[in-house]
Amino acid sequence: MIRTERISFHIGTFRLQDVSLEITAGQYFVLLGPPGSGKSIFLECLCGLKKVDSGKIYIEGHDVTSLEPRARNLGYVPQDYALFPHLTVEQNIAFGLRVRRHSHKDIPSRVTETADLLGIRHLLSRRINGLSGGETQRVALARAMVLQPKVLLLDEPVCALDEVTRQEVCSQLSRLQHHLGLTVIHVSHNLEEAFSVADRAAILHQGVLQQVGTLEGLLRKPESEFVARFMRCGNIFYGQVTGPGPPEAGLIPSRASPWQQWQTRVRVGDIELSLLGEHRGNVKLMIRPEDVLIRPNYEGRSKGENEIHVKLARRRNYGGYVRMELDGPFNLVAHLTDAAYTELKVEGGADLIAVLRPENIHVLTR
Amino acid sequence: MDSPVKGWRDSIFEATAFFFVCIFVIFVLILIFADVFYIDKRAIVTVLTSRFIGHALWMSIWTSFATTFISLFFAVPMGYALSRLRFPGRIFADTIVDLPIVFPPLVVGLTLLVFFSQTAVGRWIQEDLGIEFVFQPKGIVLCQFVAAASFAIRSAKTAFDDVSRRYENVALTLGCTRWGSFWRISLPLARNGIIAGGILTWARAFGLFGPLMIFVGSFRGRTEVLSTTIFLEQSVGNLEVALVIALLLIFIALVAITIIRLVAGQGDRPKAGLIRPASGGVKL
Repeated sequence: MIRTERISFHIGTFRLQDVSLEITAGQYFVLLGPPGSGKSIFLECLCGLKKVDSGKIYIEGHDVTSLEPRARNLGYVPQDYALFPHLTVEQNIAFGLRVRRHSHKDIPSRVTETADLLGIRHLLSRRINGLSGGETQRVALARAMVLQPKVLLLDEPVCALDEVTRQEVCSQLSRLQHHLGLTVIHVSHNLEEAFSVADRAAILHQGVLQQVGTLEGLLRKPESEFVARFMRCGNIFYGQVTGPGPPEAGLIPSRASPWQQWQTRVRVGDIELSLLGEHRGNVKLMIRPEDVLIRPNYEGRSKGENEIHVKLARRRNYGGYVRMELDGPFNLVAHLTDAAYTELKVEGGADLIAVLRPENIHVLTR
Repeated sequence: MDSPVKGWRDSIFEATAFFFVCIFVIFVLILIFADVFYIDKRAIVTVLTSRFIGHALWMSIWTSFATTFISLFFAVPMGYALSRLRFPGRIFADTIVDLPIVFPPLVVGLTLLVFFSQTAVGRWIQEDLGIEFVFQPKGIVLCQFVAAASFAIRSAKTAFDDVSRRYENVALTLGCTRWGSFWRISLPLARNGIIAGGILTWARAFGLFGPLMIFVGSFRGRTEVLSTTIFLEQSVGNLEVALVIALLLIFIALVAITIIRLVAGQGDRPKAGLIRPASGGVKL
C-alpha cells in the first residue's frame, strides 16, 4: 500500500537516513520513537510537506515522490490538530470537499455522515474555540476522513489528551480502522498507545529505522539495546561465550525446535549462564523484567542452573505490579504481580534467588 | 478577578505602572484642551466656510485612503513573501522595507524631487510617459506611499509570521494549492494584523507634512492637504484657524480609527484549541 525506499531528508543537523518501510493495505501501523527521532518528519515526507533528498515513496504501487501533497490523497492529522480557528466545526470538516469543488448538494450530507461516524454531529455548528481536547481530535480526524482517503497519517493523535479520553480515542481509532478497512500510520512515543492499536510497529531513533515487526516481536526479540530499552527493558548485560554446553533435558522446553536445543555457555561477570542457540564471542544479553523469576533463598538448597543470588535493593508498587531492583553479580530488575510479591513475603535487603531461564534470555544482535 | 493574591508591594508596583499611563494620557489631553481653549468662534466659522480648506480636507481624505489601499495591495503579497519564502537577499529586502520608517520624512520628499527632476529615468517617466508627480495631486499619494507603506508591509509580515505553517500544511494535504491555502487560511488568519498595519499607514499618510511641502508644494485648491494648510495658516499669523484645522485633523483621525476598529473587530477570530492563536501582529 505504502512503500518507502531508502528515503532521506535533512533539516539543520538532523538527518532522516535511508528509511525503507512497507505498510500493507488495511494495516494499523505505529511508528514509535522518542521525541526528536524524526517520526513527524517521516510523516511529513509521506504527505509531501517535506521534499525528500533521496529515495522513493510509492502509494498503491505508484511513485508519488514528486507529487504535490494535494495529489497524494492521504488523510493527514498533524500534531495539535491545526483546526482552522476562523472556521466553524462544520466548515473545518467541509474544507477539503469545498477545496476539491464537490457539488454543493453533496457537501452537507458527506459532512454529517462523517460527523456521525465519529459521534460529533452535535458539534457541527460550534466554533473551534472552546472544544475540548477529545472533541478537537475528533474534528481533526473528521476533516481528514471526509475525503475518504485510503490511508490516514496520524501524528501523535492522542498525546495531548487525558488518560481516559486517550483510551477512548484509541479504541475508536482501532474500530474505525477495522470498520472502514483503512490503512493507518500512527506516530507515537507512547508504548501503551501502541499496544492498544497496532498491528505492526517500527522504532525510529535519530532518523534511523531500528526495527520493524509486531509489538510482540519488538518486545521479546529486540535487535538492539536501544529497542530493548525503548520497550522498557533495562536488564541488559554483557557476556563472553565460553563454549557450547550440552543440552540438559530438564532445562529445555519440549516445544523448542532442534536447533534451539543447542546451548551456549556464557560468562557474565563471575557467573556462567546457559543460553539457547549457537553464539560466538562477546554477546549482549537481555531478559525482560517480567521474565525474571524470583524465589526465596532457602537455607541448604543448592543453586541450580542459571540461578543467581540477589539482594532486594528497592521495590516500588506501580499499581498492579511490583518493580524490584535487585543487586547481584549484575543489577537486575524484576516485575512481579502484586499477588506473587505478597506470596514471597520479603522486605528490602532480603536474600533471593533470581532464575533466568535460558529460553527467556535473548541475545541482542546489534 | 483573574489575578493572583496581591501584597502591598505588588499594589505599589502596579500603581506605579498605572501612574505612567495616567501621566501620558493626561498630558496629551491637556495639549488638546489647550488648543480647544485658544480657538474662537470666528476661526471655526472661517474653517467651516472656506472653500479652500474644504478642498484640502477632501484631498487629505482621498489621498490618505488611496495610499492605504495601494500600500495594502503591496503589503499583502510582500508580507507573505518575506514571511514564507526563503530567497537570497531576503534579509536585505527586509531591511530595505524598514528604511522609510527611519528616514526623516523630509528626506523622502527631497529624494523623490531629485529622482523625478534630476535623473534620466525620472524625467522619462514625467516627460515622455506624461505621468507627472512633481507639484501634482498624484505626487501626494506617491509621497505618502513611500513614507507610509513600510508600516503596512511590516505589519503584514508579522501577521503572516504569526500564522502557524501547520494550518497551511493541512490545507495543502486537504487539496489546496499554495494560492488556495493563502487565500482560504493565511489571509483570513492574518487579517487583523494586516488591518492594524493599514491603520498605521493611513495615520501616517493622513498627517504627513514635510515631504509634501518639498515634493508637491501647497497650492491652494490643488495640492493643499490639511497638514500643509495648518502650516500655511500659521505662517501668515492665523494661529486660531491653524488650531481649528489641527483639531479637525485629530477629530477625523479619531473617528476613522474607531470606525475601522469596530468594523474589523467584528467576527474576531476564535482562539485555536491547543495551539497558540495565530494573532495578528499588532493588537487592534
